[in-house]
Amino acid sequence: MTVTFSTPTLETERLILRAPALTDFDVLADFYASPRAEFVGGPQSRELSWRNLALEAGHWVLRGFGRWTLVEKTTQNPVGIVGLWHPEGFPENELGWDLFDGATGKGYATEAAIAARHYAYDTLGWTTLTSLIAIGNDGSRRVAERLGATYDSDFTHERFGPMQLWRHPGPEALT
Amino acid sequence: MTAATTLTTDRLTLRQPQASDLPPYTDYCASPRTQFVGGPFDAAQAFDKFAAFAGHWALRGFGRYIMQQDGAPIGHVGPMQRDHRQPPEFTWTLWDSRYEGQGLATEAAAHVRDHLLGDLRWPEMIVHILPDNSGSIGIAERIGATRTDDTPPAWYEGAVVYRLTAEVSA
Repeated sequence: MTVTFSTPTLETERLILRAPALTDFDVLADFYASPRAEFVGGPQSRELSWRNLALEAGHWVLRGFGRWTLVEKTTQNPVGIVGLWHPEGFPENELGWDLFDGATGKGYATEAAIAARHYAYDTLGWTTLTSLIAIGNDGSRRVAERLGATYDSDFTHERFGPMQLWRHPGPEALT
Repeated sequence: MTAATTLTTDRLTLRQPQASDLPPYTDYCASPRTQFVGGPFDAAQAFDKFAAFAGHWALRGFGRYIMQQDGAPIGHVGPMQRDHRQPPEFTWTLWDSRYEGQGLATEAAAHVRDHLLGDLRWPEMIVHILPDNSGSIGIAERIGATRTDDTPPAWYEGAVVYRLTAEVSA
């Protein structure tokens, strides 16, 4: 039996959300090697970055959903990774966002997360969604606030440490 | 020509990883059988590893196959390439000791070797094996891998590096 899985492509005003691809590797490796990765298990080596990119791609195969690479329409550059995440060890389905160097301050995480959240509610039929925010990651917390999420509870991730679990408005609150 | 997504040997089907393989793979990761590859690993580590296993196919267009016997996944075999500047690494593993001693890993590895080095004309692959993993060394020798004095990668310190080239794949 052959298993093929295709990741849907989404589009927002300024971004294309597409499947993670090999061409994302260099910019992803730079991100994971930078201080910006301190809240997601980094900084780390290119070898581990390779595993992370493969994990992003394979999450779609194992779960049927996953995260998208954000491509900036004007430049065609990959600028971040946003989407739906539930690896073993996470308490619930998560909406997560990471922006690469130079892509912050433009509202891209919020713009992409809104599209991903619509996909979760409208296409996958989910009824709730959380985001895990590392303690001290104020940029990420502000994105959660802009998305209308509110603090729900504390959660300690085995590798990423203490985090806050924020909960998004449900589908009925967004219509 | 791209790598076949399914291959068939006398006793095995070799196919791409799928979600239903995760529970037996997680059991394998928790077992002493991962002692030669940095284990044992907990369920969260097993998920990350198996997702990367599946994602390798999506990124590179080739990857490791699940060995399936009578409908059940029993191990994995095939190439992986973390760094495109290095030759692909060839690996094989049976997930439970009850599948050992029947030549299944050798059968699968020889078949995938023929596909990659023969059909696809890959020039070479490398194999990393810890020196006390005598079972795997035996398989490497049976499929025609030759031992080198090359230095193993930093993430697999102490491993012996074998080389597989098209010449031995008749």
